[in-house]
Amino acid sequence: MKFKAFLTDNGISLLEKRLLPALDKLDRTCVLYLTPQHTLFLHNLLSSSTVIQSVAQVANPALFLEHRISSQCDDRIALTLDTSLLLRALRSVVTISSSCPVQIKLVKKLPPSTTQPMPFLSFETKGRNSAVIHDVPISKPFSRSQVLELQAAIDSSQTLPKTLVQIPYLNQLMSFMERMRHVGDSLNVGVSKYGDLHLEISTPMITLGTEFQRLLVLGERAEPPAASDPGASPGKRMEVAIQGGDGLMVQVTVKNFTKSLSCHLAKPDCAFYGIEEQSGCLVVVFQFFIPGTRITDKAISLHCRIPVIDTGCN
Amino acid sequence: MVDALSAVRWKRQQDAVIEVSEHGIVLIVEESACLQAKVYLQRELFVQYEYRARDRPRFGLSLGLFVDCLNTFSAPGSSSCIEIRYPGPDMQLLLRSVDSLDACIYAEIRTRIPDTITWDFNFEPAGSTPINFTVKSAALKEAIDDLEWPGSSIEITLQPTPPAVTLKGEGGHGDLQVDFLYYGTSDLLVAFHCDEEVSNRYKYKFLHATTANLPSNVIKDNRGSKITIGRGGIMKVQHLVSVTRSLTTNLASSAGYQQPSRIAFIEFFLKPEENIDE
Repeated sequence: MKFKAFLTDNGISLLEKRLLPALDKLDRTCVLYLTPQHTLFLHNLLSSSTVIQSVAQVANPALFLEHRISSQCDDRIALTLDTSLLLRALRSVVTISSSCPVQIKLVKKLPPSTTQPMPFLSFETKGRNSAVIHDVPISKPFSRSQVLELQAAIDSSQTLPKTLVQIPYLNQLMSFMERMRHVGDSLNVGVSKYGDLHLEISTPMITLGTEFQRLLVLGERAEPPAASDPGASPGKRMEVAIQGGDGLMVQVTVKNFTKSLSCHLAKPDCAFYGIEEQSGCLVVVFQFFIPGTRITDKAISLHCRIPVIDTGCN
Repeated sequence: MVDALSAVRWKRQQDAVIEVSEHGIVLIVEESACLQAKVYLQRELFVQYEYRARDRPRFGLSLGLFVDCLNTFSAPGSSSCIEIRYPGPDMQLLLRSVDSLDACIYAEIRTRIPDTITWDFNFEPAGSTPINFTVKSAALKEAIDDLEWPGSSIEITLQPTPPAVTLKGEGGHGDLQVDFLYYGTSDLLVAFHCDEEVSNRYKYKFLHATTANLPSNVIKDNRGSKITIGRGGIMKVQHLVSVTRSLTTNLASSAGYQQPSRIAFIEFFLKPEENIDE
């Protein structure tokens, strides 16, 4: 099993300034999954369904100048690591101004006062006067069966909801959640084919919510019923949509929803929300544009699946 | 509104009663029949005020929830317009942001029926001439904050010659006395009316509540808080809170007319200790 690569400047900046700070907020431990085409960071894909799952994928050319990978599992390597340590190692290597690219490789080393060699992901950079080697401790690489299981989990996580609505202003959503989260612990999230996103926290004393209307819809869409009352309350409108089969509502924890918003640290350009009926989870797909354009950057993808605490009213 | 309402929020769980009339909204908070606070939000403070009720509606709600909820509506750096409506289909207080057609925030706060017998202070003047003084808000707050350590009971004395107000605390750790002297050149006491010496003791806990949560703009404007002693030693503390820098201000000035007074009034009524014992 071998892995060795040289990080590009863009790759370092993407990891250090955007992806890793966001992933670190989601959960400290993540699975790093290296394949010949992509590098993936996965959260909780194989664990219980009560925690938020996330899949971040970057095409290798966006990260590496050149890279070599080989393993007995179709040249795929998966391992667990601590995102904060990985972030710290990257921050440490970028402080050395160097014309030499940063090398990253899998190594086995004998830590002091042990007899058993341990696996590490080693970052190496050479400056004019110094060289820095930063070893990030990692888990034993996954077995073949574990890798297959992981791949199956990734494949099934790619199922998209039938309807996704686009939130172009994540900041607004974040500031709203920031002020709303102390009201209650659970959040009702409704998505309709008319392009509505509805968030509501309800307790016996207060109902507090926000509604976004006329959002861009991906997938199945529908026109709001002509007879609909424009003055109806947001709750009533969503109820009508659900009854007509044009909307879905689920309940998620405020904690998980807020956590998913920390993905804004990865600087996505917009986010799509949808409800996956079969697996019963709220899916958030973050979209990245090629800088300076409105064209999707296919080299990066990030999505979260927020588990549902109740199947909701539908 | 958040500023004005926060000024009468002296503990976490606090029930308030709201009374709506053609003149505006009054919010009333009480504590163990010793302290009452009222916030007057006159109809002129609102961009639009519609009142269509025969009897003045009264309802109770949680002050904390109401303030937190209003806070949710105000995004930093942008002025937001909120529609507040009562009653909702289930007698709730309904709030809705009306800035944008495509995104809105809304809230429904459950209300309760307020107690029919409300403790009322019947604040009446002590005699034929009023007994009152107006002191810079910041100085009043500072004096009351300083009186924290001596003890639980504070004696407030007004004497006509030489004209002065004394706040005195006696406690296990020692005594502390704060004097506000009234003379021409001082701008600390803005006004002073008293023709005979009056002295009453008030619980520090309640006295502290009258200035503890004053919004920063009251301290900054430092207009003056008016304190009146009524019959039986009941003390009334009045503060003025500027309610400006809103969307309405811009609208008003661009429309070219003089905007009406944008002041919210806050009043505290405080019973003296002797009356509490009775």
